Amino acid sequence: MENILELQQVSKAFPNSNFTLENVTLSLPYGSILGFVGENGAGKTTTIGCILNTIAKDSGTVKLFGKEMQDADTDMREKIGVVYDGDNFPAYLTAKQLSEVLEGLYTQWDNALFQKYLEQFHLAQNQKIKHYSRGMTMKLAMAAALAHHPQLLILDEATSGLDPIMRDEMLDVFLEFVQEEDHSILLSSHITSDLEKVADYITFIHNGKLIMTASKDDLVYNYGVMRCKESQFLALDPKDILAYRKRDFQIDVLVANAKDAQKKYKGVVTDHVSVDEIMLLLVKGERA
Amino acid sequence: MKGLLKNNFYAAVSNVKVFSIVMILLGVFVVAMDNKIPSLIIAYMLLSMVGFSLNSAASLRKEGASKWSKYKLTAPVKRSEIVQSYFFSLLLWLIVGMVFAGITVALSIALHGFPFDRNTDVFMLFVVGIGVSLFMGAIFFPLFYLGGEERNEVFLVISLLGAIGVVMGLTTIINVLFPARMTTIQIILGGVIILVSALFVFIFSCPLTTYVYHKKEY
Repeated sequence: MENILELQQVSKAFPNSNFTLENVTLSLPYGSILGFVGENGAGKTTTIGCILNTIAKDSGTVKLFGKEMQDADTDMREKIGVVYDGDNFPAYLTAKQLSEVLEGLYTQWDNALFQKYLEQFHLAQNQKIKHYSRGMTMKLAMAAALAHHPQLLILDEATSGLDPIMRDEMLDVFLEFVQEEDHSILLSSHITSDLEKVADYITFIHNGKLIMTASKDDLVYNYGVMRCKESQFLALDPKDILAYRKRDFQIDVLVANAKDAQKKYKGVVTDHVSVDEIMLLLVKGERA
Repeated sequence: MKGLLKNNFYAAVSNVKVFSIVMILLGVFVVAMDNKIPSLIIAYMLLSMVGFSLNSAASLRKEGASKWSKYKLTAPVKRSEIVQSYFFSLLLWLIVGMVFAGITVALSIALHGFPFDRNTDVFMLFVVGIGVSLFMGAIFFPLFYLGGEERNEVFLVISLLGAIGVVMGLTTIINVLFPARMTTIQIILGGVIILVSALFVFIFSCPLTTYVYHKKEY
């Protein structure tokens, strides 16, 4: 399958920080949504910065549409829509003025489509952005990201300021967007339930390192968590353990195949696992 | 580039509106006053040219409150175009300042007669106003990207003082080159030297700022 985005061994260190992004390798196929999950400071935004060249990577390669993007490759950026968490646009602009500004930046800017999204998201055209609520600014950023007909959406915590109803509407917009075979979304989010609804693949990042990438269906239907007593835990084959976390009277063990684990370890309760719990086990637990 | 210029315009326009009203009121006062003491006109001309340019540079800070600085790097524009848009915007606002200065001095002369010793004095006032504005921009923009948006105010002050210093320094050199009493040609030549120097430094500062900006991470 061809990829719209490919990262190979991307690393970035910051001189005044202990944080380092280490050898991040991931790919996003055309027509799919990749959920990018990790705790605050895990490296999601740094990775996105390396993809979009707002941060200069130390090593590795980032290919967008099969090519490394340089500052001069403005035609490639025509095909990318970006939404950052928080205020994306200057507070002194109104939505109407923003449209004028973006029309002067994107050759494919579709003012009619932008107006359609403003109406759909109930955003006032002549109100200054500084008077918008956080949710409204996120909706405005989504409208702006979609209105120049991008092929790739890169969304950094784009749903975080929205109420559940609006988030649901937004997720529908994402799903509609990827109906086109050459469209894809990289969606970084803390809200793992959103990713469970829309993502095709989920990548977990922790302390600047990718710790796991799997298809969402695999995670939801095949992965599981075994609730073991200490003696049961000690009897487990280490190869079956992806991660484990000791709790008061039990040890939760993440396994890649719940059905196989159930068959192999009779007497151990095995549950399906949510993306949230997987993240907790991978981040807070220990790996075998 | 068009979108960047529009954004720069919107960033500056609210402050410029207030500044324009003040300058119109001051202009009416300056024109209404008898111009036997030309210091009012001198101050007005310099204030309008430097003031509008200063407003343009100061508006950069407004972008810092949002993620726009980062966002526009994801748009189909080069970093060099972003920098050029700021230089263009400053030039455009400087022209607005020159128009204010020109109209006011013309009206004052029309109503009260010529207030200066020599005809070249008006030209020299424009030279000083333009020179200070261009040197200020040339110093400010690379500093802005070098030191960060949060130090915008101090860089503006440094740039303004630096620009005044450079113009005064150049004037001193010209005065040494052409001792008193200077001929009209020498005065014009001196003015042209200041203008050309300011323009040269302003133009040179643009790629320098782009170089600094290329190192900047968001």
